[in-house]
Amino acid sequence: MAYTTFNRNNFDTFAQPMFFGEHVNVARYDQQKHKIFENLIEKQLSFFWRPEEVDLTNDRKDFMDLPEHEKHIFVSNLKYQTLLDSVQGRSPNVALLPVVSLPEVETWIETWSFSETIHSRSYTHIVRNIIPNPAVVFDDITQNDYIVRRAETVTAYYDSFISLSNYYTQLGEGTHTINGETIVVSLRELKRQLYLMLVSVNVLEAIRFYVSFACSFAFAERAKMEGNAKIIKLIARDEALHLTGTQHMLQIMARGKDDPELAIIAEECRDDVIAIFLEAAEQEKEWAEYLFKDGSMIGLNKDILSQYVEYITNQRISALGFDPIFEGRTNPLPWINAWLNSDNVQVAPQEAEISSYLVGALDSEVDTDDFGDFDL
Amino acid sequence: MSASASSRKTPRVGRRRWVKSKTFFSDAQDELTLIGGGATQLEMDLFDAYSPSSDRAPIHTQPIPEPVEIEQGDLFGYLAESPEPTPQTSFEGMEKPSFEVIFSDGRNARFQHASSLLESLEAQDVHIEFQCREGYCGSCRTRLIEGEVHYTEEPMAWIDDDEILPCCCIPKSPLRLQ
Repeated sequence: MAYTTFNRNNFDTFAQPMFFGEHVNVARYDQQKHKIFENLIEKQLSFFWRPEEVDLTNDRKDFMDLPEHEKHIFVSNLKYQTLLDSVQGRSPNVALLPVVSLPEVETWIETWSFSETIHSRSYTHIVRNIIPNPAVVFDDITQNDYIVRRAETVTAYYDSFISLSNYYTQLGEGTHTINGETIVVSLRELKRQLYLMLVSVNVLEAIRFYVSFACSFAFAERAKMEGNAKIIKLIARDEALHLTGTQHMLQIMARGKDDPELAIIAEECRDDVIAIFLEAAEQEKEWAEYLFKDGSMIGLNKDILSQYVEYITNQRISALGFDPIFEGRTNPLPWINAWLNSDNVQVAPQEAEISSYLVGALDSEVDTDDFGDFDL
Repeated sequence: MSASASSRKTPRVGRRRWVKSKTFFSDAQDELTLIGGGATQLEMDLFDAYSPSSDRAPIHTQPIPEPVEIEQGDLFGYLAESPEPTPQTSFEGMEKPSFEVIFSDGRNARFQHASSLLESLEAQDVHIEFQCREGYCGSCRTRLIEGEVHYTEEPMAWIDDDEILPCCCIPKSPLRLQ
C-alpha cells in the first residue's frame, strides 16, 4: 500500500486497527477509538519544559571537583542518555508514522518523539556547561565500543522493521527481487516485527533509561550536579508517560482489542519478549561494570546498580502481563522514588514548587559551606 | 407601596440575599394587606419548609461515629491520616469513609482521612512502590482481591481489570490487596 499524505477513501475510523489499516486523513480528535492516547497527548503537552530554564552554573563547579572516576561515571552516563534520546527522537516517527491508522495514535507518536528532542537538547545544554569542548563527549558516542555495542541492540528492531515496512509500502506483499536479492514481504511478519519492536522500545524507555536515571540521581543525593538532576527529573517525568504509552500499545495488541491477528502474534512471541528483557538486563549489568571500572561512588556501585536492573526489569515485564524474571527483588535504591516523583509533597499547587508550573526553581545561590554539616 | 420600596436604603452587599428576600416579603405583605389577606398566612407558605415545627426531619440526627485513632508515621512532615483541623459539617450518610485495608501478606491499615489510598498506606508505614503519584506511571499498580475503589483522578497507566493504582484512588469498601 503506497503511503498517501491525505487518504481520500471513505472508511470507518472505529474499524481501523492502530497500525496497518487505512492511512490517516483528517487529523481529528472528536472521535477516538483509543481515548488513552488523547489523554497521553494532553498530559505530555502540560509537561512542556525547556532545558535553558534550569540553571546549571553550580554543576560546572561540582564537576571540576569530582574525582576522575566519578567524572568517568557522570560523562559515560550522559553519553548513554544522549544515545538513547537520539534514537528515540526520530525512530518512532520514521518507523510508525507511515503505517499508523488512527489520528490520536499518530499525534501521540509525534508528541512523544518531539519531547525526546527536548531531552536531546538538554544533553547539549548540560555538556556545554561542564566541559569546554562538547565535541569531546559527543564524538565519542559513535566511537566508544561500550556505547556502540548497546546502540546496536537498541536500534536493531527499529532498523529491521523500517526496512521491511519500506518494501511493503512500495511493493506490497509478495516475493520481490531487488538488486538480485530476494525479499519476502508478508503483513504477518511485519506485524510480528512491529510487536517486537514496541517491546524493545518499552525496554529502552522503561529499563535502560531508568538505569541511567539512577546514576544521575545518585550524584544529586550527595548534593552534587543538582542542576543536572533537575533536568533528569523532568526527563524522567516524560519517560514515565512514554513507557505508559508503549505499555498501552502492547497490551491493546496482546488483548486483541485492536487487531485479532496481533493477539495471536503476541501469544506466539512470549518467549521472544522474555529474551528481549533478559538481554537488556544483561547489557545493563555489563554497562554497570564499565561505569564503575575505576571505582564506585558513595551510594552506588556495580552490585547495587545490577540489583536495581533486576528489580526494574521485574517491574516492567510484569506490567506487560509476564511473570518476573529475577528472584524476588525489592528496590535496592528506595530513595530514587523521591527523585522520580514529579512532585515531592502533596500540597496545593500554588503553595509548592510543582514542576508542572515551575521549572528552573533550583536555588543557584548555595555555598559549598552550606553542606558542611552533612554526614554521609 | 412603590414609594416605600424606593425610599429604602440600598442593601449591603454582604447581606444581599437576605435583604432581597425580606424586601420581596415586605412588598408582598403590603400587597396582601391591600387586597385584604393576612400576613400570617403568607409567612407559613414562604417559610414552612424551614420552620423548626415542620414535620421534616432535621438534616443531621444520628450521631457521627467517632473517628478511629490511627498510629501513623510522619512522611515529609505530613500526617495524611490526621483529621482536618476544621472539619466540614457532617451530614447523615455523608460521613468520611473509614475502611480496613488488608494485604495478603498480613500488613494492614485503615483508610480514613487521607486524600489517596497511597498516602493513607504510607502514613501507616505500609510501603508500596510509587513514582508519579498522579496515575500515569503505573509504579504503584496493586492487585485488588476484594473490594471497590473510586478514582479521584482518571488513571492513565495500564492496569489490568483486577488491579488498582493506589496513588489516585480511595476505597469505597473494605479492601483486600495483594
